[in-house]
Amino acid sequence: MFNPETLIRKGLPKGHFKDVAVRSLLGGLTYLVVIIAALLFGKIIIDGAPVLFKAEAPFVDFNFLTAKNETLHVFDDATGKRHQLPASAYNDYLLKHEGATIYNEQTYSYSGGGILGPIVGTALLTIGSMVLALFFGISAAIYLSEYAKQSPFIHAVRLAILNLAGIPSIVFGLFGFSVFVLAVPIITVTPSDRSLLTIPIFIGNAVISFQGWNSSLMAGCATLACMILPVIITASEESLRAVPQGFRDASLAMGATRWQTIRKCVLPFSLPGILTSSLLAITRVAGETAPIMFTAAVAAKDDLPWQGLKNPFEILSSQVQALPYHIYTLAAKIPSSEYTQRAQYGSVFVFLVLVAMLSLGSMILRAKLRAKLKW
Amino acid sequence: MSPEESSAHPNPHRFQKRGFSYEQAIKYFFASNAGLTIVILAMIIIFLLKEGLGFFPGYQRELEVYRVAGLEFVDISRKNLTAHEQLSSVLNRAYYAEINGQSFRQMRRSQEASALFNSYTDQTGATRDLVLNNSRAAGDPNSEMLAALNANFETQKAKALSSLPPTPHLTAQERTSLIESIRARAIESTEDPPLVTTLAGEFAAAQQKFAEPLQGMRATIDAFAAAGADLSSLVSDMTATVTATKEKIQGADILEKDRKTLLAAAASARDPVEREKLISEAKASLADKPDIEGPIQTLLEHRPDCVRLHTALKETSGGILNQLPITLTQPEAARLLKVARNTWPLFIADLEKTPAAINAWKHDAPVPLTSAISSFLTGKDWVTGGEWQDFYGILPLAAGSLMISIVALSLAIPTSIGAAIYINQYASNWEQSIVKPVIEFIQAIPSVVLGFIGILVLGTVLRDISLLDSLHWVPGFPLTERLNIFTAGCLLALMSIPTIFSLAEDALNNVPSAYAEASEALGASRVQTTFRVVVPAAFSGILAAVLLGFGRVIGETMVVLLVAGNRIKIPDFSAGLGTFFQPCHTLTGIIAQELGEVPMGSVHYRALFVVGILLFAVVLTINATAHRFVNKMKH
Repeated sequence: MFNPETLIRKGLPKGHFKDVAVRSLLGGLTYLVVIIAALLFGKIIIDGAPVLFKAEAPFVDFNFLTAKNETLHVFDDATGKRHQLPASAYNDYLLKHEGATIYNEQTYSYSGGGILGPIVGTALLTIGSMVLALFFGISAAIYLSEYAKQSPFIHAVRLAILNLAGIPSIVFGLFGFSVFVLAVPIITVTPSDRSLLTIPIFIGNAVISFQGWNSSLMAGCATLACMILPVIITASEESLRAVPQGFRDASLAMGATRWQTIRKCVLPFSLPGILTSSLLAITRVAGETAPIMFTAAVAAKDDLPWQGLKNPFEILSSQVQALPYHIYTLAAKIPSSEYTQRAQYGSVFVFLVLVAMLSLGSMILRAKLRAKLKW
Repeated sequence: MSPEESSAHPNPHRFQKRGFSYEQAIKYFFASNAGLTIVILAMIIIFLLKEGLGFFPGYQRELEVYRVAGLEFVDISRKNLTAHEQLSSVLNRAYYAEINGQSFRQMRRSQEASALFNSYTDQTGATRDLVLNNSRAAGDPNSEMLAALNANFETQKAKALSSLPPTPHLTAQERTSLIESIRARAIESTEDPPLVTTLAGEFAAAQQKFAEPLQGMRATIDAFAAAGADLSSLVSDMTATVTATKEKIQGADILEKDRKTLLAAAASARDPVEREKLISEAKASLADKPDIEGPIQTLLEHRPDCVRLHTALKETSGGILNQLPITLTQPEAARLLKVARNTWPLFIADLEKTPAAINAWKHDAPVPLTSAISSFLTGKDWVTGGEWQDFYGILPLAAGSLMISIVALSLAIPTSIGAAIYINQYASNWEQSIVKPVIEFIQAIPSVVLGFIGILVLGTVLRDISLLDSLHWVPGFPLTERLNIFTAGCLLALMSIPTIFSLAEDALNNVPSAYAEASEALGASRVQTTFRVVVPAAFSGILAAVLLGFGRVIGETMVVLLVAGNRIKIPDFSAGLGTFFQPCHTLTGIIAQELGEVPMGSVHYRALFVVGILLFAVVLTINATAHRFVNKMKH
């Protein structure tokens, strides 16, 4: 008799071992990446966490976050006790122990105190550039998704966005330096020698002078905004397009104008999405070093940006410290030793925690958003 | 809503009266914001060109001075002298590599013993000085303070003795005896422990023993090195003359520039008194035309000497090669000897051509603009801020960028594409939910943090690994430089993995599921479906992902600035795979490093902008190619 059982192959299917081998090879590669990433973060966390956290309450060493950055002085006093003091405390010590001899004194630049200056500077740069980029980026995205039809202009805009997104950050640094630091117009009574063009405006002696904003907070914000603009436009356009066409049709059919439709029926539904993806843009703006190296950042600054100013607008034209630039200085300009490690690993740890929180926040918000908005 | 309808409104908005509606104004506002992107892109191009294009005429003038002042003439001889020095240094390295390779064990033992002792002295040095200085100052050996200091020293000593570096080449007994002798050491003693001295002696003896059979080689190398002495002294004589001429010409150039600025200012000055003052100042600044002919003629009088010395050097060098040993026993020494043997004919050929070049050289030959351009694009030296002559040749930087990209991509492509295939084809949902966020998070790490990790963690780890005896066979090991191409490449690989991974995964996702279903229905296994159907269908998308990753790698700044080692030199390719462990400099790194330090408007400053233009063009080309592949896939 014909037995159908014979047609069914017993045991493992042909090529099973090959399948398993390929699968485990690919899986191995994948988890290799995950493990390497975990190892690197582990190293930073193990070395950096002790700077910020301590064993007794309140567990967080706020001093590192709220003290200004100073030079670290390391020395022995006459009893052989080793002191590590930031510059201000060191001067106090000298005043208090007048005449005491100090042995084996060493100084480490940027390694004492905390990192309040860099944190504040990065915050200002991020806020300034995100405000600019969000304003211009969302407006451009509204045009692209709500008004634009196929035209050479739109084609050119899309090409420009694509190209801007690919430009290396150091080229943005060069651009920011040659445009915002050296060429943009300001109103002044004393134009500089290097001014490209001066236009009198007949109010007193004031002229519009194309001499740039120098290395300043505004120049840095403008450079960073230009860099992040394509990211914001793309993300915002995506969110705007995700709003169903029916919302717009319904609104227009009720007699609303196009602007009313956008304002009442499109923007409110897409704003959460736009803001979520701009969280990711913040991590990029906060982390970039190359564009601000020549346009805004300074390695050492005694005052916080708003201290010692005559009017609040001067803050825009002052240089700031920035966390990524601070890390660059700590890594490149000073040799690593047991006394500098606190500043080095501590700054990196704080920075990484900030970035992790932002990107985690963006991931969670995105997941929530997906679950909530279902149309 | 059409304009006819809105103008039919009983109370038209005030804009509408002029045929310009409020709605339209809003539309134009948004359109102008979209146009901003075009403006920014145009400004980037215009301003890069504005700052950069002045470079070529400026560089042309520098090259002209280089020729007119006779620096170029001296460089003909100088180049040969440098080649000669390099060759003798290669031979010397081969000689010492042979000896040290043969006495490797003794060398390591001696090094390890002194490393151990040094680690101890480094840790206790500060407290020890304190005790010694104070006991002298106080004069009272029984004081309390001295006791405190001594106790302090003892704790530090105990701490130091418990954290000594490993010594794999010393026996356990030797190590214990060394530690004991350190412990028993009197505080004021300045002598090394006996074992350190003994081992250093043993090493020296071994070196001497192995140097014995190589005496012939030593003598040959010394003879070769001595052969360049005459030429060297002639070159240094000539250098002094030409440098003086160059300074004169440059001084005149600066005065001339001042004069032009003053005249321009005079032309635009409104006040006649001031104008007169400026013009008279300009007249005062008129430079005498520097005397070029005189020094050049004295320089050219050295011509016969130069030719004679070169011929002599050639004759001496020609015989040397045959006197060298055929090969050496240690691999590193044999490699270096081979390098010397391979470059020898080139060196001789250069020497042969030199007399003709010396005789043919003319100080008044014109320097066209094209030579400035070609010397920028194909120049092998990027030398700036030197006293001799600045060269802006881009090859060392481009080579560095390219080598780092090769390392980064050859590590990143297999891992990221493998991971993309795994996640897309094999992984379960929970695996996806772990791997994807991790990779997304890697993308969010700022590059300066990665650079920091490289400089403080990865560089040290790699060097420690390279010191293992069992890895001695790897080319380039043990590492001489902590920061090198490979370290930077590893970190950039980590940076580009997220880019390549997510784009490749998208490409795989976009393959219609019908392809895979049809393939499985035909009885193909999972592997066959993946590698014969899905991956080929997504191929152009994967290629685009790789290209975009490449664009990211080559444009990255902070990691290479911190980790690549920053040595401006074309890597020495004769080292084989060991080339990847040399330090280098990159296109992006040089801008970041030097822009802050150069005077604005100088040739050097403009050169950095030209590098920026080049980088911009390269990255845009790569991205454009990638997007063509993406579009191809969509259709």
